[in-house]
Amino acid sequence: MIRRNSIAALFAACALAMLAAPGLRAQDSKGTDVSKVVRLNRAPVNKEVLHVQLPRPAVEKLPNGMTLVLLEDHKLPTVAFTMMIRPGQLADPDDLPGLASFTAGMLREGTTTRTSAQIATEIDSLGASLNANAGFGAGYLSVNASGLAPDAEKILNLMSDIVLHPTFPDGELAQYKQREQSALEQRLSNPGFLANRALRRALYIEPPLSVNSPTKDSIAKVTSADLKKFHDQHFTPGNTIFGVTGDFKTADMRALVERAFGAWSGAAEKPIALPESRVSEPSKIILVDRPASVQTYILAGVRTIRRTDPDYYSLVVMNDVLGGGPQARLFLDLREEHSYTYGAYSGVNTNIYPGDWSGYAAVRTPVTDGSMTQFVYEYKKIASETVPTSELDDVQRSIIASFALSLEQPSQVLGSWMTVQYYGLPVDYWDKYPDRISGIDAAAVQAAAKKYVDLAHMQWVAVGDRKQIEPVLKKYGPVTVVDANGNPEP
Amino acid sequence: MRRIVYGKSLFGLVALCALCGVCILALGSRLVAADVDGIAVPKLELHDSRLDNGLRVILVPDHSAPVYAINVTYNVGSRNEPPGHTGYAHLFEHMMFQGSENVGKGEHFILIFNNGGGMNGTTNEDRTNYFEELPKNQLDLGLFLEADRMRSLAVTQPNLDNQRAVVQEERRQSVDNQPYGHADLDIDNLSYDNFAYKHSTIGSMADLNNASLQDVQNFFKTYYAPDNAVLVLVGDFDPEEALAKVKKYFDAIPSQPSPPKVDLSEEQHYGERRETIYDPLAREPQIIEAYHIPPGNTPENYAAQALAGILSGGQSSRFYQHLVKEKQLAVNAQAEPDARIGPSLFYIVATPRPGVPVADLEKGIDEEVAAVIKDGVTADELAKAKTQQLRRFIDQRRSTLGTANLIGQYSVYYDDPNLINTLADKEAAVTLDEVHAVATKYFVRDERAVVITMPAPKDSGTAKAAGGAQ
Repeated sequence: MIRRNSIAALFAACALAMLAAPGLRAQDSKGTDVSKVVRLNRAPVNKEVLHVQLPRPAVEKLPNGMTLVLLEDHKLPTVAFTMMIRPGQLADPDDLPGLASFTAGMLREGTTTRTSAQIATEIDSLGASLNANAGFGAGYLSVNASGLAPDAEKILNLMSDIVLHPTFPDGELAQYKQREQSALEQRLSNPGFLANRALRRALYIEPPLSVNSPTKDSIAKVTSADLKKFHDQHFTPGNTIFGVTGDFKTADMRALVERAFGAWSGAAEKPIALPESRVSEPSKIILVDRPASVQTYILAGVRTIRRTDPDYYSLVVMNDVLGGGPQARLFLDLREEHSYTYGAYSGVNTNIYPGDWSGYAAVRTPVTDGSMTQFVYEYKKIASETVPTSELDDVQRSIIASFALSLEQPSQVLGSWMTVQYYGLPVDYWDKYPDRISGIDAAAVQAAAKKYVDLAHMQWVAVGDRKQIEPVLKKYGPVTVVDANGNPEP
Repeated sequence: MRRIVYGKSLFGLVALCALCGVCILALGSRLVAADVDGIAVPKLELHDSRLDNGLRVILVPDHSAPVYAINVTYNVGSRNEPPGHTGYAHLFEHMMFQGSENVGKGEHFILIFNNGGGMNGTTNEDRTNYFEELPKNQLDLGLFLEADRMRSLAVTQPNLDNQRAVVQEERRQSVDNQPYGHADLDIDNLSYDNFAYKHSTIGSMADLNNASLQDVQNFFKTYYAPDNAVLVLVGDFDPEEALAKVKKYFDAIPSQPSPPKVDLSEEQHYGERRETIYDPLAREPQIIEAYHIPPGNTPENYAAQALAGILSGGQSSRFYQHLVKEKQLAVNAQAEPDARIGPSLFYIVATPRPGVPVADLEKGIDEEVAAVIKDGVTADELAKAKTQQLRRFIDQRRSTLGTANLIGQYSVYYDDPNLINTLADKEAAVTLDEVHAVATKYFVRDERAVVITMPAPKDSGTAKAAGGAQ
């Protein structure tokens, strides 16, 4: 996908190339034939940033407590619905990881008036889509539906039926479990999944936050009664933000939603009590042994902040300088100059609890050492050196200018406004956002790097062939080895 | 590049791109553009012209957002690669980001993203495309970048060595380090005898290692000429002003002699071809089958697309209801026909339910195929498939970039950019008899290829194939 609101740092590796004579950079030990990023600055760039405002949705709270967010968009004859139902996976019992995701996954498998096959046929006949999921680490369960605009009422009625009246039939659950066990097996062969699971455990330590997947055991033992209980307890209009975008008139859509969901009742829950944010542990390396790997998947992260933290803007800008895209330092260094990888990036993951920041790349096994060196080099550099003004300007322009592109994606704009509701941000949040980004200076970027790109507490994960990479990794810190199932290897 | 991806949610068409994580999928011909049950998809206004140097220019105004997209599609893909040169078209795509007379190595990324845009380049068997999307006030920037590299690509040995290694890393990431990665390559290798489509777009490590600076320069001279490309602009601009800018940047680029035509014809196959791969990275078996079907944009290929929707489009489809739910043979099963310039393939990919022998699932798939041959499909099924196609088409039309990429592809594939406005009629015209006929004519067991992947012991090294073709 094309990157949108994420942004960039540009100049990055270019600044390096200009600051150091060829062959003199510490990491260029070979010194010859280095492929350097170069800026000629001859292309015609319009210096004026095209400022746009995101269209504002209509927002209101229905009498039953559900928050409704409606955003008209008439370019094409479609409509899209999305529900965020708190608290999602955060309510998973410790001994039943995945309960929220099982509940979501079973919503389409039968209601008091429709069988699984009937639901499938109705949806497919409309050319529509309807699905639900509960992401690990997210504080809500999502139900999404979309289709052609004239079918809005039919789609809403199906959505309402699976959300309000699911029956979680035993026969369907038995089949669902088979598919989930297989899907879990598939994920265990994926290096990115293995890396993220290990990092999640290292950073968050205790469930529910340390968990990023169901287990064979939880899939095997979940019952229809467990799903019903989760549904009864958490599926309430008070817990729900309901968004719609597409080709409709706001008043008409409001009436349709009221008709489909108005009779639903139930107050908002108190927020889930999460484990106290822990002091981060000293840096260490977890090696996930994946025999026959020809690459090492390197992922490293640190705990950071809540979405509502005042440091959010400086963290975002800092991340974009460092790894927010192909124009950022990690990509230009590890790929364009060293060709260790097809891509190196970093990202910010904030939430209603203190989230994390992490960077990653998949590199061929023999350059695991060199790649670790470059990651550490870039992480030290951004914390110890002030970001050049021109590089900072570029990143800020990138963030602000990319708003124009987001106007083509009404679902993305709707999502931005639902984020405002979810976190309780001010209603003019996105109007003020560009100024907030522009207000971040080089000192703030460096402060964010010192605080959050914290090598002393960074948790590293390397997924690869233990035989080849364990000796190398030991140069960078204490190494613990686990297998694909996360169990310690001797 | 058409590639099969394992897993129930991952199956689909994926392109080889200059960048991962920022790629737009290369879309097959999955368009409908017409009234279905009173749905009117707005027609696009195409301004189609040709510069003196042969560059085809298609301008499509769309004022719904203050942005524009640019797509340059070159009429070259891995089909043009002779033996010993596999992977060159895609390697060359990477070289197009390594600098030209007025753009430094890597500066393209920097200029696009720092001005709020998005970009990528992708390569498949039949074409190579480059595209950007930017705020409307950066129209000159996109045109300048595309023109400069079409006119004056600057290639150096260190930059070639650098991108060769990056491409090899892309191969490791997407093929060699992935479960089922080799199955995706082997199914095409078995399905074609003509080298054009037989070999992979990503190429072999050995051929990539042998690519020289001279090879890259020759490739550029042969294929990257204005008369072998189409430029598409979609977005918030005035067509007259935009055409003036296009001329300003592209007019002076000289045309080149036409590249040699590639013979894509495929002799008839006799005898099923079958291979089993023991893959140490796979944890579960997988089946891929491929049947031969006619090229894209033909009535029979449209019928095959509709049939795929009937077999596996949504949870009410035959494969899901019969193989996944009723018989519980599979955890997923997908039908995915491609639409190439030349002879195309109808892939079926399925993962058995844990504990189910692969042979049982294969038999189950064969029974579904036989049922279509025997009894055809129902009017309700065909109507449902067409509605799903309409919905997909509308979603693809959402962004200026998606639209520009499709028009570029239709221009190079079929010399018909206006297919974006007429495809609907072609898809809507598919009849029950045509679906039945295409199944009967092309689901021929003796002409198909089958690749089975089995999990291998963890210490058995890289994936190995056993039991050769035929």
